[in-house]
This record gives sequence, C-alpha cells and structure tokens, in this order.
Amino acid sequence: MKLSFREVKDVMVLSPKGKIMGGPDATQMHDQLHEFINQGKKKVVIDLAKVDWMNSTGLGILISGLTTMRNSDGELKLANVTEKIQSLLTITKLITVFECYDSVQEAAESFK
Amino acid sequence: MRRIVKTKNQISIPSSLDYLKDVDQFVEGKLKRIGLSESELADVAISVTEAVTNAIVHGNKNDEDKKVEVTLKIKEPDLVVWVKDQGEGFDPGAVPNPVAKDNILKKVGRGIFILKSLMDDVDFEFQSDGGTLVKMVKRFKPAKKSQDKRI
Repeated sequence: MKLSFREVKDVMVLSPKGKIMGGPDATQMHDQLHEFINQGKKKVVIDLAKVDWMNSTGLGILISGLTTMRNSDGELKLANVTEKIQSLLTITKLITVFECYDSVQEAAESFK
Repeated sequence: MRRIVKTKNQISIPSSLDYLKDVDQFVEGKLKRIGLSESELADVAISVTEAVTNAIVHGNKNDEDKKVEVTLKIKEPDLVVWVKDQGEGFDPGAVPNPVAKDNILKKVGRGIFILKSLMDDVDFEFQSDGGTLVKMVKRFKPAKKSQDKRI
C-alpha cells in the first residue's frame, strides 16, 4: 500500500493505493492519523478509489482509524468505496458503522 | 531455514507478515493465467492472505523458524488452495462471531469469516504431527476453453 494525503479546505483526504493486507500497512495509516490529530486536524476522509482490495487486516485498519478519530472528537468518513470493498463491508456489517460517500467532495461537504 | 522457497505450484515462507506480499505476488501471478474474473481473483487473493496471516500469527506465533506453505492446484472447475502451518491448531468453533453486535468494532477476528464468505468450500484439517492445513476451493468458469488449465 502507498499512502498520500491532501487537504481540501479543513478536511484531510487520505488516499491509500494498492492492496491493504497487513504488515507495514497498519502502522502507516495509524501514524498519519495521529499526526493529523496532533496538528488539530480532526476531519478525515479516506479515499478508497485506488485500493484494489483489502483483507480483514485492512478492515481493522479502517476501524482503528475510525475509533482513533472519534476518541479525539474527530470523524472519519469513506469515499469512493469500490464494489469489492463495499461487499466486504456488507458481509461484515461494517457498512452500518462507516459513513460512505460516492465522492471525496460529497464526503468533505458532509462535515458540519 | 529462513527464506522463501518456490516451486511450480507452491511457495513456502518464514512466519513473518513481511512475506505476505511475496505470497500474494506468487498466487496472483499464477492465477492471472487461468481466466478468473477480476472479482474471483480478488476473492482468492484476499482469502489466501487471510489464511496465511492466521497461519503466521495464530499458528506459528510469528516464529520465523517455522514455515507456512501455500500450494495451488487447478482441476476445472475447481481452484484449490492449501495453506499449511506448523502450529498447534485451534478450534474453529471457538472463534467469536465477528458480526455479533459486541464484536463489530473489534479490529481483529474477521479472517476466517471472510475467507468462508469468499470461497466456495473451506476445510480445516489438524495434522497428527502438528500443524493446521486449511483447504479452500473456488469454483470458476474459465474465460476461454483454449487457455492453459495447468498452473
């Protein structure tokens, strides 16, 4: 997995690319979110458009990100969820936990 | 010996998640030749990483002196994958239900549930000499009859 980010107004957009399957992937995302929190940036969108697939470790990384942000009075939302990831979120019922949007713009505009 | 060993249908790795990418590259490289759809290929790749992660972490307890073997076999319409570790085995029935209300937000515990959802058949065999063998089957329709069926 490769990880990049950009800022859209006051929203941090994290864009992982490739496959999220564990190993070093977990710490990368975790460290980046903590850096955002330390900078007082608490609105985060994860743009999944370029993620080929993820396994349960990838789902664990998303959950960890969500709870990390919520514990710091922040919020994490998902955008551009691909069909494969959508199906994993559905079978694991995590679709009920995450707010998902069709585009980064829609996700960014959903923050109050 | 702590190194990756590959044969035509098999890859063997030391028990470290650092080698998960190598297993994925090996498996996807083989499967791209047999005409699986993109979705079927992802299902198998995800399931293999789940089984290998379990074998490394829960089976071999990250002991790099123990190995995990992944073996592939195509017998149309079945694609069969075996993942073998050298651990002490476990009770699949004792794994908590990851979609139960209290478990939804847990970071771990979905691997077996996901591979059972994505593959057509999954069996766990516990070897008398130690180790767990996971057998996973995906049924597929090859894209072209003329394609090489053999891995």
